[in-house]
Amino acid sequence: MKEGLEEQLHKHFGYPSFRPGQLEVIQYVMRGESVLGMLATGGGKSITYQLPAMLLPGITVVISPLISLMMDQVQQLRAIRRIPATYLNSTLDQRDAREILREIERGTYKLLYISPEKLQQPYIQTVLRRVGVALIAVDEAHCISQWGHDFRTDYLRLPEVIEKLGKPPVLAVTATATSAVQKEICELLGIKPEHIVQQPLNRDNIAIERIAVPGESERRLQVLQLMDRLTGPGIVYCSTRQAVDVLVASYQLEGKRSVHGYHGGMNSMERMMIQAQFLAGELEIIVATNAFGMGIDKSDIRFVIHYQMPASLEAYAQEIGRVGRDGKPGYAALFYVWDDVQIHQHMMEREYPNRQQLQQFTELLLKGEPFTTEMLASIDMTQDMAELLLFYAERVGIPSRSEAVASMEPDALRDCGDAIMRELEVRKRLKQQKLAEMLDYVQEREVCLRKRINHYFGDSAAGFTLQCCSSCGLNRRVYEAEEVAWTKESQEKNWDLLQALSVLLPK
Amino acid sequence: MNSRNNGAQEQDFLLAVALNAMIPLANERTLQAAYYILRGRKANQTLQDVHLYSLYPYYRLFPQLSKENWDKIVSNLLQRKLIVEIEGAGGGRKPTFAVTATGLHFAREQFGMYQMHLWLAPFNQSSLTYNTELFWQRLHLLVQTISQMAAASMNFIPVVSDRRIQQWVKMQVGDSRVRSGWKNHLADELYALWAPFPAQVQRLMVAQLSGAAQTGKTLGQLAMQQGESKFYLHVLFRFGLVSSIQRLHQEKEQFPYLHALVQIHDPENGDPRLSESASRTYALIKRGYQKDKIAKLRGIKVSTVEDHLVEMALRCREWDCSDYLHANQAAEIVSASEKLGTSRLRMIKDHLGKDVSYLQIRLALAQRQGESAP
Repeated sequence: MKEGLEEQLHKHFGYPSFRPGQLEVIQYVMRGESVLGMLATGGGKSITYQLPAMLLPGITVVISPLISLMMDQVQQLRAIRRIPATYLNSTLDQRDAREILREIERGTYKLLYISPEKLQQPYIQTVLRRVGVALIAVDEAHCISQWGHDFRTDYLRLPEVIEKLGKPPVLAVTATATSAVQKEICELLGIKPEHIVQQPLNRDNIAIERIAVPGESERRLQVLQLMDRLTGPGIVYCSTRQAVDVLVASYQLEGKRSVHGYHGGMNSMERMMIQAQFLAGELEIIVATNAFGMGIDKSDIRFVIHYQMPASLEAYAQEIGRVGRDGKPGYAALFYVWDDVQIHQHMMEREYPNRQQLQQFTELLLKGEPFTTEMLASIDMTQDMAELLLFYAERVGIPSRSEAVASMEPDALRDCGDAIMRELEVRKRLKQQKLAEMLDYVQEREVCLRKRINHYFGDSAAGFTLQCCSSCGLNRRVYEAEEVAWTKESQEKNWDLLQALSVLLPK
Repeated sequence: MNSRNNGAQEQDFLLAVALNAMIPLANERTLQAAYYILRGRKANQTLQDVHLYSLYPYYRLFPQLSKENWDKIVSNLLQRKLIVEIEGAGGGRKPTFAVTATGLHFAREQFGMYQMHLWLAPFNQSSLTYNTELFWQRLHLLVQTISQMAAASMNFIPVVSDRRIQQWVKMQVGDSRVRSGWKNHLADELYALWAPFPAQVQRLMVAQLSGAAQTGKTLGQLAMQQGESKFYLHVLFRFGLVSSIQRLHQEKEQFPYLHALVQIHDPENGDPRLSESASRTYALIKRGYQKDKIAKLRGIKVSTVEDHLVEMALRCREWDCSDYLHANQAAEIVSASEKLGTSRLRMIKDHLGKDVSYLQIRLALAQRQGESAP
């Protein structure tokens, strides 16, 4: 079977051979068995469902939580690989969605990327059942786990949906899951525990450094220097959009290299251009929030700097995992100031509703009015927060139909409110715990950082190719460039519209 | 490179733009009025101000301007004594402000330095209706597509991810005759379109585009490269967009291909004369729905829909409101208002009795106001 699959891999995707773990996962899938693939970011997770999709009869449904990632992947599959793929999510209007569903019925597509909440729609389920689902791939499968760092309520409804689609085999993939999370994924999605394929987590070509600094100004100074010295290309992660903007602005005063910021506050065209420039090697360093990186296929990233401590070890592992996918040496530095933890505390506060908001929310539920953006804004609540609340409201027994809510006894409703609050407290505590684990990681003394991270995910590996980590002793100079060229562009002297247009649109 | 003093330069430029927008509003409006205009708020009051004080170039000039940034601008203006605050007098008058002589001088001087009269010249009542965003996205994706076609490499990631724009471009290049027309004429027509523009604007337009041989630069990157303020380049860019659209409207025959970029058949793109919500109501009215049905469909109150109708009566002269107000009723209401010397609904209603509704009075008055507006 292996040779046949390899041939197909080459035919459809142009790769000569599989990366570690891929073949094993695909073999399970081709035998019609459900499987959990633990594959490192950039380790080619997507091939494990894209290749079977081309080989199996019927359509492969890929469930993905990130709309932009979904669109990028479909875009790439269509343009570069000529693979018939499409997506359904909330960005499409009804007319477009209907058209796509018609095409699906006609068998136009082999791959459908869909958001979990779209997949709840009975009509879509009917269409998919009619066409025949060959495989359900659950991307970022850790989102289903309440113990995971990125729990999404709409993932919890997936087991039901899988049932309704005629129980096709399930392929769950994730890059970062502790053993508790793995167990939960398997239970919920009906995967046998022995069907876990785990690629070694240890990234032996990445050297890991942890740098404690006394305060903000010292930190900025050091990071700015590193940005000029390290061998590129690289990414600098910040916790907030504001931190991104400030760092970019101060680098641009003195720095030599071409650097740009990237965060969710920029418009989508700008983000696309920045990403394209980085991929094309025209930009050396991206300063970004965690919005940057997922689904970016660039194998020669040489360093990742964390300007602040991230919110969890899962997020940290995922972000440094983007370094050196080509196998060549790379470097990861994590800066922290003792009060970094405050930023995350603050963000967590804003993520969850307080008692008063919950009260207002149940009042809206009682009135039975639809949740419009304006209405949510009036109680200072984000869409995400409202969805979270709706989910928990349903879980604690508040019916989703408004007439039924209106008939509830006030006491019963208040009890439900308390129950929701308790559920939220559980979530909050979990996040606190993740944060505490991260804090431990940055504060623990004299422990090998590589072992520490791998151990967290249940892996005991500790090998490295060039250097290990700052606890074991590390010479940072190795990752610094001999000489950094001035890549910040300045303007060319002569301007000629005709000539410029002929470069852009050659005849 | 003079990036070192960019900060101060940029702040001065912003102050000058804010101040020039505020000058006509002095003694009449609050300190926030200009902020809403610069941000492009679609509320009635804001749009009214734009028309009343002819602030067309400033509307939606900086849609991204944050409240913090604005507060900083205002406190700077106050600190440098370019404006002074005037407290709200008795009788519920709102607080306002006045521009000082220094302020007037500063505003004039800065605008002269940046040649702002030139950059703001193309803006008027009709430019308010242009969909610059749509124009630019279409152009951007079209150029990228044609450029990739010319290079015979169709494996590219589109810069514009909006499906509607993608479909539009697909439609343009779908037919082989039209496609070869684009291939042959796009560069020529762009040259004809932009050749009369100042070189700095030409450069700004071309450098932001992507194709097979170049990745587009962001406005921020170009600002860095040229050592200019990002806000200033944004003003130039808007000049380029609006002038392009204007020429494509006015000189159709010269641009048989590019003219397609400014043709909009999409009724779902809101009516720029109205608030967003009102323009959705208007779209439903055009499809023949009555106000109660619209309220139900949209999940909003009937009284809100009525507010929208009044907004439409004020702004959209082509709207035939005879379903809600007969022409003779309108005349009756207007003459009652003139006879009583008031626009107060209550007094008019008392005068005319229960045959006319409050909605009808509001519609009639709005219509009259709309007709007398410039």
